[in-house]
Amino acid sequence: MTLVIGALTIGLILSVLALGIYISFRIFDFPDITAEGSITLGAAVAATLLVSGVNPFVATTAAFFAGSAAGALTGVLHTKFKINGLLSGILVMTALYSVNLHVMGKSNVPLLSSLTLGNYAENAAQLLGMTDESLRLGGWEVSVRDLSILVGVFGAIAATAFALDRFFRTHLGTAMRATGDNPQMIRALGVDVSAMMILGLAVANGLVAVSGALLAQYQGFADVQMGIGMLVWGLASVIIGEALVGVRSLGLAIVGTVMGSVLFRLLVAMALRWGLDPNDLKLITAVFVFGALVLPTVLSKLRARTPQVAHA
Amino acid sequence: MLELRRISKTFNPGTINEVRSLQELSLSIEDGSFVTVIGTNGSGKSTLLNAVAGGFFVDAGSIHLGGRDVTRWPEHRRAAFIGRVFQNPFSGTAPTMSIAENLSLAARRGRPRGFGPALGAGWMRELQERVRVLNMGLESRLANAIGTLSGGERQALTLLMATWLRPELLLLDEHTAALDPKSGDKVIRVSEEIIARDKLTALMVTHSMSQAATLGDRLIMMHRGRIIYDVRGAEKRRVRPAELLARFEELRRGEQLDETAADMLKRTYI
Repeated sequence: MTLVIGALTIGLILSVLALGIYISFRIFDFPDITAEGSITLGAAVAATLLVSGVNPFVATTAAFFAGSAAGALTGVLHTKFKINGLLSGILVMTALYSVNLHVMGKSNVPLLSSLTLGNYAENAAQLLGMTDESLRLGGWEVSVRDLSILVGVFGAIAATAFALDRFFRTHLGTAMRATGDNPQMIRALGVDVSAMMILGLAVANGLVAVSGALLAQYQGFADVQMGIGMLVWGLASVIIGEALVGVRSLGLAIVGTVMGSVLFRLLVAMALRWGLDPNDLKLITAVFVFGALVLPTVLSKLRARTPQVAHA
Repeated sequence: MLELRRISKTFNPGTINEVRSLQELSLSIEDGSFVTVIGTNGSGKSTLLNAVAGGFFVDAGSIHLGGRDVTRWPEHRRAAFIGRVFQNPFSGTAPTMSIAENLSLAARRGRPRGFGPALGAGWMRELQERVRVLNMGLESRLANAIGTLSGGERQALTLLMATWLRPELLLLDEHTAALDPKSGDKVIRVSEEIIARDKLTALMVTHSMSQAATLGDRLIMMHRGRIIYDVRGAEKRRVRPAELLARFEELRRGEQLDETAADMLKRTYI
């Protein structure tokens, strides 16, 4: 049960990353690899601030703005300096590796004795009268700390998803969506496409950095390597989400992305428990995303061929 | 009032693909005037529209709109005063967004876009009323994605979007060329209605001689980046499509003569 709660919590935390990837990849059709640097940046900024005793909410908010700055920089490289999108992201990601080391001062910052958002969740549980170490839930012994963190994370992610859905229905948010959908049209309607893209990437990487900040607080450390493979992880979540709920509406896509992230983490936890070599995890994730990207075209080709075969 | 003062634009200068699309072209269009533009392929008529809209900056000359010098304004800034319908029905609308969302984007053309909801309650009622004007039954499908509509429906909506806020200038770039004749006629009728109703200043590029002859109060013919024929008022009303075709034929013959003459000169002097 601890395993399931752990997988759910990490899945929810990484769903903030997935929402960021959804914005860059689905709304702007921009494979933004900055995410791999900005998730670590978020973790590094939050961890460093927490170690020096800053309030966890302030530290997490600071992570958002640090990530936003990184995303905005990628946007500027791409729109103002006309550098290929993927390359802009790679440049910023590479630069962030050094930045992250400077922020942390070393390659790993432990948070074992620092106050984190997890402590707030625990305190809230105690205020609600759950003073025991653990409680019984459907026959399983569950740690109150783990459960309260899960509930807290769920609440935060639900609020984030709701806010994002609202945002994309405002005048600014619809203009942002239209920028990805048809830049020529939205320019003719008076929107500065470059500014919109910079803003969108800033929001996306801000979310990714928050995900890093939450992850660092949950697992108790920030590590300079923690971003590797995160873009593909986020893509997998987005794609699973689309398979789960379809792409009919924006709200569904957002909920689907969160569900995709959680489901993917659960599947991974199960596979690891059944003896999957953790070293193979990124390989399998990459193969999975590859499959999900090519499958629709392969399927439609097969479908197009079938009638001809029948006639022959 | 639109005023173009000796504008020039050369694409790929200094290369083998050099094209002088606009050559010291001057033109002024009074408020409320509806101008049709025709010309041979590559005559620069679409380039002219793009220069006005701000798709690129001109190499020389200046562009004035309503007394403002907009020569160096980027496209999105000029958009506050210019409504635009493109040739390709896919260009003017965001396909994955709903009809209502597309129209609400148009309703803030050139205005700040904040955190207010794009689809407020009062707005939806106004929307239905104005979409009904198109007479296409779209008012009952406002929540549908634009991508599910036909080309004609999309062009009619783009037209509605371009004129939702009264533009100082409406640019129509062969906006019926990609449509079947029936939807093309429909879109032209709607264009005429809206331009007449709102007394808009419009510049319409067309490939159809009959549209050029029957629509608007002024006609311009372009050739090789210059205006070679410009009629208005009573004279414009007398123009017949056959006459325009004859002029095109004349141009073509002149062109051929040019080439043979050039050849002859080459043979003689080189």
